[in-house]
Amino acid sequence: MSGEPPQGPRRVRVTAPRTAARATGASFPVAREMAEQSEVGQLFVASLIRSQLRLALVVAAGFLVILIGIPVLLAVFPDIDRVTIATIPLPWLLLGLGVYPLVIGSAVLFVRSATRNERRFQDLVDDD
Amino acid sequence: MTEAVVELNPAVGYTALVLVALSTVLIGIYGLRVSRTTDDFYVASRTVPPWWNASAIGGEYLSAASFLGIAGLILISGVDALWFPIGYTAGYLMLLLFVAAPLRRSGAYTVPDFAQSRLDSLLVRRVTSVLVIVVGWLYIVPQLHGAALTVLITTGLPSWAGPVAVVVVVYLSVVTGGMRSITFVQAFQYWLKLTALAVPVVLILLRLGLDGGPVTDGGAAFTAELDTTADASLYGTISLVIALLFGTLGLPHVLVRFYTNPDGDSARRTTLIVLGLLSVFYLFPTVYGILGRIHTPDLASGGMADATVLLLPGRILDGATGDILSALVTAGAFAAFLSTTSGLVVSLAGVVSQEFFQGSVLGFRRAALLSALVPLGVALLTDSSALAGSVGSVFAFTASTICPLLLLGIWWRGLTDAGAVAGMLAGAVLCGGAIAASAVLGPGAGWVWLAQPALWTVPAAFATMVLVSRATARRRPASASRVLARLHTPEQR
Repeated sequence: MSGEPPQGPRRVRVTAPRTAARATGASFPVAREMAEQSEVGQLFVASLIRSQLRLALVVAAGFLVILIGIPVLLAVFPDIDRVTIATIPLPWLLLGLGVYPLVIGSAVLFVRSATRNERRFQDLVDDD
Repeated sequence: MTEAVVELNPAVGYTALVLVALSTVLIGIYGLRVSRTTDDFYVASRTVPPWWNASAIGGEYLSAASFLGIAGLILISGVDALWFPIGYTAGYLMLLLFVAAPLRRSGAYTVPDFAQSRLDSLLVRRVTSVLVIVVGWLYIVPQLHGAALTVLITTGLPSWAGPVAVVVVVYLSVVTGGMRSITFVQAFQYWLKLTALAVPVVLILLRLGLDGGPVTDGGAAFTAELDTTADASLYGTISLVIALLFGTLGLPHVLVRFYTNPDGDSARRTTLIVLGLLSVFYLFPTVYGILGRIHTPDLASGGMADATVLLLPGRILDGATGDILSALVTAGAFAAFLSTTSGLVVSLAGVVSQEFFQGSVLGFRRAALLSALVPLGVALLTDSSALAGSVGSVFAFTASTICPLLLLGIWWRGLTDAGAVAGMLAGAVLCGGAIAASAVLGPGAGWVWLAQPALWTVPAAFATMVLVSRATARRRPASASRVLARLHTPEQR
């Protein structure tokens, strides 16, 4: 590890497959130590994965229910077509404009919560 | 066709095409000067800031289907066409939720890389590579069809000229600059495409407003029945949305982009910006489609609906303004084919060169040639159908094959190599078979479950993958827990 001063980017010969070299990157010391060495660490990691998956599933399900709900609503109540705002029918407004804030809102919610989950994990590891 | 050719001044078309091609190659050469190491060449050294990267992702993603196809589809089938931009955008939401950060942390450059490092199996790698290459080729073909259409109606040149021009420019910019220069080119092309749609539409609306011309024609734009073959069933809509949502996260050129983020957290922030960029962009094709329903309804019956965006400015604004704006939208369209095709060629070349050419830079160049020539041949031998629709089939195929591999690989430690292969093959056979069968049977209301197969092929692929993995639980790689830990734990700060 020591004895080789960094000299900027060095020329590297590229060979296939390039996966093996990266599989042992040095940028995951915490994760690897956690997963490989301590039983408590494995529990922390498993609970992080579970909470991230739960978060992703909840956001996805909420989004999909609203999204799929629109065509279902239109199929059940075709009269919605006749509601217009400035000559634009409501379905056009919902699908052409309304969905996008919903997408971005879900995304912001997810990024905040996912980052918070990771910070909590980091704090646990640091305390340990 | 000839009527459309007369509509635009060929000089306008030529100017636009030459300008875009020239600026693409120039930015590529500039990129070459700053790309120094092999990592630069392949993945831009992972040092691209989120805004640049997000613009590049948007630039690469907004293809012929987005730039021309959506307006054309709105012209033909009205409100149902709005599901396409929604699906294209929300696909990135799914990517953000399930894939972005973990995939970045996996350190994999391509899907086959990920598959191999996760499942520790060369067979999985091979199968994934073949699927990625097929998906990439299928996705390039509609881009080239779009180029054929655009060049035909803007310059009057024969229909092989557009695809050949795109392939030549893409090949030159890819082999000279590699990924780093492609990142610059793509980022530039997002903003070019946005400007090319936004400026004409603002001027068109201004003119219509001043002259009291019809914008929505008192709502007639929304209710006009221009379509003769519409069969938008609830099943068809939901199946299409599923295909677009879950197809995005398996597209090969989309995945490569995430590797250029420095870490998982910035991969997420980049995706967030992408969602904003896409949401803004898709407002404009929608407005073109609505205006087209009043001002260019003849294109719907003539089978030229995809030309709506190109011809609308010239129909409403005459003289020099019309010419300049036509040149602008033509440039934007050309940028769309170039950016998507070059993104696909780069990612395909990455896979092909590692698989067959030992991953050297020379091999990368040969692989890039191969990745561009095969779809060119297919595009020249086939007729274009509606752009948005044919791209939709590619999304369904990706959602049925690569999407289950990524989702289960990232979130479920029980996945085995046998399960992954079985699930991908099941999805490929079912989805590919359904699409081929529906192409043979032709359009018909009874066959919507074949034309839009995602709703049953995606769950079938997932189920096969899970069941076979369960049955072969002994083949679980020993490294599964370690790999999953690496995918989900934050990088050291």
